[in-house]
Amino acid sequence: MADIALARASKMAPETARELRHARRLSVGARCALPVAVLLAIGFLAPMVAILAYSFATPRSFDVFRSFTLENFASLFDPTNTVWLSFAWSVGFALFTVAILAVIAYPIAYGLNAVFGRWAGFVSVLFVFPLFVSENVRLYGWVLFFIKNGVLDGTLKWLGFSGGPEVLYTPGVTLFGMAYTYLPFMLFPMTLGLALVPRDLVDAARDLGAGRLFIWREIELPLAMPGILIGMLLTFVLAVGATAEAKILGGQSIIVISHDIEIAFTYSQNWPLGSALAVVVSVFIAALTLVALSKLDLDRMLGRR
Amino acid sequence: MAGISRRSMLQGMAAGAGALAAGPLLGTGSALAAREKELNILCWEGYNSAQVLDPFRSKTGATVKAESLTNDPTMINRLRAGEINTWDLINVNNPWARKVMLPEKLIKPLPKAEFEPFFAKMLPEFKWPYKWAMSEDGNDLLGMVQRFGPYSFVVNTDKVSRKTAEETGWDLFNDPALAGKYGILESDDWNVFNIFVVAGIDPFKVHTPEEMAKFEETAKRVFKGAKLIGDIASMNQALISGEIDLHLTGGTYSVSPARADGHPNLRAITPLKGPLAGGKGGISWIEVTSTVNNPNLSPLALDFLKYVQAPEVAHTVAFAEGTFNPVAQMGNKACFDLFTKEELDAIQWDSLEEEMARSVEYDIVPDYDKALDIMNAAKRLRG
Repeated sequence: MADIALARASKMAPETARELRHARRLSVGARCALPVAVLLAIGFLAPMVAILAYSFATPRSFDVFRSFTLENFASLFDPTNTVWLSFAWSVGFALFTVAILAVIAYPIAYGLNAVFGRWAGFVSVLFVFPLFVSENVRLYGWVLFFIKNGVLDGTLKWLGFSGGPEVLYTPGVTLFGMAYTYLPFMLFPMTLGLALVPRDLVDAARDLGAGRLFIWREIELPLAMPGILIGMLLTFVLAVGATAEAKILGGQSIIVISHDIEIAFTYSQNWPLGSALAVVVSVFIAALTLVALSKLDLDRMLGRR
Repeated sequence: MAGISRRSMLQGMAAGAGALAAGPLLGTGSALAAREKELNILCWEGYNSAQVLDPFRSKTGATVKAESLTNDPTMINRLRAGEINTWDLINVNNPWARKVMLPEKLIKPLPKAEFEPFFAKMLPEFKWPYKWAMSEDGNDLLGMVQRFGPYSFVVNTDKVSRKTAEETGWDLFNDPALAGKYGILESDDWNVFNIFVVAGIDPFKVHTPEEMAKFEETAKRVFKGAKLIGDIASMNQALISGEIDLHLTGGTYSVSPARADGHPNLRAITPLKGPLAGGKGGISWIEVTSTVNNPNLSPLALDFLKYVQAPEVAHTVAFAEGTFNPVAQMGNKACFDLFTKEELDAIQWDSLEEEMARSVEYDIVPDYDKALDIMNAAKRLRG
């Protein structure tokens, strides 16, 4: 057997170089995937590379790939620069949005699972429907609702009350807008997560005398946690980059970090500074996402246990 | 079978990839040959509307693309960043053509003989040789003028009378009693001008450190006292609903849609006096549309500039969607007669001439970058 193998190997020896070349060539699958890979590289990577390159260019110039300076980053981390305020508002509001939505979405997701059972996932997709209407249009709708003599104020006055509360153009209403906008992104994964909790397990725990709180803490919450965490992560990442709520509902009562990036690319025409800001924010979010994802078992989340 | 299908698929993919790779080249080739049927316009909103462009499209059978942006520096930097080969016409405010774009070779002069006659039919202040349409040395015609207007601030005259607003002027925004009752239009280049003016400083000069300190103090105070910062729609909505009584940075351009919608109590104000050159109280703008220094400029660029001079088209430009403005072509009776009483009311025709006379013309702030950075920092302290 070994002799035969040896003989075959020696017989193939003259072709080794060709074989090697062949082996080095991409597999058929990889070659088929090449157009998609190229498209991704152009559509996804190229803008990232451009932003990264711009962040090292001379401030207020277009000398991308032709200049290298750390000045943009230095100015961002300069203690006199107040851009950290915008960053703090964005991160703070994103955290608040996540906390509020976790509390709001959990009972809804629980209810959906209890009522619709295995169709809960599908029903929660219905919550995604508002996303088909532009976010700006929906937020302007809320402005009409809250504005003086608008839907709320006008109705209350018509009913004989003194009028609605003055909430428009405040940080509070910005937070409300964010919770409203990102509800589907928390609800959908959370509903899927809760659907993974086997009913039998809850019943068994109850038969063994476990209380409601104990079942929730020891069975439901840990089993639904991957869905909850994905919902939280998704909401946080989107909320950190939110601008429209602070602009339209909040009347720019606070300036969020994505608005600062926008100002740098428009009125300031300081693309390198805007890029540096975008890089810092992206690195922060990427690091956070990687840490969170490393703690998640996606296989379990998707039911491939 | 598998071999054949795989091979045919790979062949198909190769052909597809080849076509993809050659596509842009083919496109360029045909574009080079057929630019007489293509026109690209970089402009303020209005020129990109279907009302203005569709008749030109059907007349010429050309593909006309227009992109609207809401500040001059962004448009000019698009050309600087290499889009000079893309655009045929650029429509920005008055100083940029002669002071920036021509020296940087971003635009090219128009044939004087062809365009000079149009100026004879414009309003008197635009008569040939009109300063902002010409190069600094006065030799070249750099663009055509059309829309213009005063742009200082807007009040609800039910809350602040026109007389009080004109007489008190920019000091309205220094009045602590009005804190929380005004908005600021999100138009940051103009806000830089206006914060200087509220601080009692002429914006269009190099500023001393003391003046910059005053600017910073004023910016912090005025932005802190603003109920909201927003776009034109938000400002008009807040004025109509009673959320605010007045807003900084605004004029015919911003308030005319609300006036046309039946709110004549909202009015653009030009203060009687102020710290601007000659003691003037307001700032005005005049759009200049120039041909881009595109090595392969579409011949339609000149045709379009002539097309918008026609009385009917000039009237359409004045009342294009989004914003309504007076146009220089109103000097031609045939054009003026197309405006209804309501339309003249919307653009405050009754006081237009005196308001323009009380305004200095938009110019470039030499230390704009520094002032803008200070103003952006002041905005962050609102929260």
